Amino acid sequence: MTLSLRALSPLAVLAVLGPATPADAQGAHAPATPAEMVATYHSLADGILALKRTEEDLCRAILAATSAHGQVELGRARRAIEAGDARGAQAAVEALAADVGQLATEGDGAVGVVRKKLLDGGHHHNAAGEAQGIFDEGFVIVTRAAKGRLLESARTIGQMARAPRAEALDAEWKKVQAVVAELLKPEP
Amino acid sequence: MTRLPAALAAALVAAAAAPGPPFRFVDHAAEAGVDRVLLAGRPGKDHLLDSTGAGVGFLDYDRDGRLDIYLVNGWRIEGDRVAEKGRNALYRNLGDGRFRDVTDEAGVAGEGEWGQGVAVADVDGDGWPDIFVTSFGANVLYRNLGNGRFADVAGEAGIESPGWNTGAAFLDADGDGDLDLYVASYVDCSREDVLRAKPTLSWRGLERVAVGPFGLRGAPDRYFENAGGGRFVDATARAGLDDRGLGFGFAVRAADFDGDGDPDLYVANDSDPNSLYRNEGGGVFKEVGTWAGAALDENGAAQASMGLAVGDADGDGGLDIFTTNFSEDFSTLYRGLGDGFFEDVARTSGVGPATFRPLSWGTAFADLDNDGDLDLFVANGHIYPQIDRHPELIGTFAQASQLLENTSRRGAPLFRDATAEAGPGLAALRSSRGLAAGDYDDDGRLDLLVANLDAPPALLHNEGAGGAWLTVACEGPRGEPNPIGTVVTVRAGGTAQRRDVAAGDSFLSTHDPRLHFGLGERETVDEVDVRWPDGRRTVARNVGTRRVLKVRAGR
Repeated sequence: MTLSLRALSPLAVLAVLGPATPADAQGAHAPATPAEMVATYHSLADGILALKRTEEDLCRAILAATSAHGQVELGRARRAIEAGDARGAQAAVEALAADVGQLATEGDGAVGVVRKKLLDGGHHHNAAGEAQGIFDEGFVIVTRAAKGRLLESARTIGQMARAPRAEALDAEWKKVQAVVAELLKPEP
Repeated sequence: MTRLPAALAAALVAAAAAPGPPFRFVDHAAEAGVDRVLLAGRPGKDHLLDSTGAGVGFLDYDRDGRLDIYLVNGWRIEGDRVAEKGRNALYRNLGDGRFRDVTDEAGVAGEGEWGQGVAVADVDGDGWPDIFVTSFGANVLYRNLGNGRFADVAGEAGIESPGWNTGAAFLDADGDGDLDLYVASYVDCSREDVLRAKPTLSWRGLERVAVGPFGLRGAPDRYFENAGGGRFVDATARAGLDDRGLGFGFAVRAADFDGDGDPDLYVANDSDPNSLYRNEGGGVFKEVGTWAGAALDENGAAQASMGLAVGDADGDGGLDIFTTNFSEDFSTLYRGLGDGFFEDVARTSGVGPATFRPLSWGTAFADLDNDGDLDLFVANGHIYPQIDRHPELIGTFAQASQLLENTSRRGAPLFRDATAEAGPGLAALRSSRGLAAGDYDDDGRLDLLVANLDAPPALLHNEGAGGAWLTVACEGPRGEPNPIGTVVTVRAGGTAQRRDVAAGDSFLSTHDPRLHFGLGERETVDEVDVRWPDGRRTVARNVGTRRVLKVRAGR
């Protein structure tokens, strides 16, 4: 949706307000905000809130895609371990660790650039949550607590890369999935 | 003659016999003749470039065995015009505690650019150390002609790379025997942006200060592969070194963080996650910082990192990383866990609480009391002079630098703030930036060179009691000095200390390329083990201490 506020030129404002009326004929009441402006603001608010929901959906999608990629890498790692392919297993486990790192940071560095852009523009998706210490600045879905757990798992998985064991990987991935499931749970 | 009471006489005798304090630094810059003032924009520091200052370097440019000094300089701005373009300075060590300014005869004043950092290395392999100067503008590569003169060859080398270049590091990334180059960049902005800047950012609702780095766009770092024949090519993407996060890059250090024999890269970013690029072999890198535990602090937050130091702080044989950060935040010690993994131990090691208040920049792991472990020196100074009107809040623009003594035991890194007992050189308040450690008088005690905004540098002469020491000066097979990436391990009495030769370190600076080891009371070391960049080794056994040991590859 695009709404050009520049369309609300002074002339348009005058048209909405109508011709000036002598004060004595209006009585002592404060002038009401013109209904058309209020209606426009309502539309704008719907748009802003819709955009905010879209931002949230997009960030959920980023997490879901990253998690799905992690699941694929886990499978690749398992197969490589079974086949005794140490190099393949290491590559897959490190890719899995990178995925978990990106879950923690709600996307990679390029997403971080977008986040900075929004913050620079004064947009904090979770302003109240940030003030309460629940979210880091600019984060939409991943809470500080979840971030900490995911970062720990990312390093733990990364440290397994040189000698991975399928059961240990599965166990750590299960922890990751639990955190992600909690984050992606639909809001009541 | 008056007789002294016996107890007092005994006390005086004991005091005369006792060694001096372990730490004592005295600023000898004025007596030494090292007096070039670092120009730093406007007094109000209206733009971040006014505040970043510049780096310093220790080098032996004329190969006379004495450590010389290189200072990078900025510009002075009045209002919105350039009032003075500062000149970099090269000081030749005369060997008697004094230095002579040889900038003009050497031809290394900086080509009129607003200088930022310095990295020193024998780039062309001719046996003479060259000087690379990063700039807000075009970088400069001063090729050492071997006769006391230099020539700028950055243009023909293809590494001028105009922009806001900051930290730089030379490394042989692809193992082909020549040096490649990584250059960090800070903010994407023009000279006009700098000149027109006004302090418009509200600081606690009390003052208007310079904007940034939030609100500004980061500039991408670059990697240049040495193509031979004095030419470099931009191989950033091919090497996997894309700066996808456009981090506000400052300090860079190359080192073998994962112990696999090739150099990796660590980049300190201001307000963005730090980057750890692991060398996969053949000059291809993978960014692993987040999952290796070296990008964020213990809370998962990106910090405003400025400078860094790399060394084995806890004596476990692995490399640790120390990053300096903004005021009201911990500087961070990433303890190496082995295989290139790290954990933030700023809180438990004491470095975090000790560095919470100041704004920190240049830093070094250095054994400043020669007791066999690496202490930390941290150069401090705020970026907003406006805070001087509210000193009760977080102190002042000028701040004391700090010395953190290593008191680690049994592998758990532990430091304590020993600044108050480190002599008059650390009592002065300055707004410091670049820092290099080096033993300029060859007395076996590491001295410190510190850049200060709008002032001459401090040359902090180490006058501590000190213990035994050994300095290792490495030479390549053709006698080329201090091959970058050489790792030296000194073993003595069941302990091992490790150092590596780097070009580009601290905050935009370069330390003494010789490797210094403090040895406490030991008069000999069991073994000096040198691992050259090509993987070959040279081992010397039963080496006496309190000397500079020259080790040449292939001998």
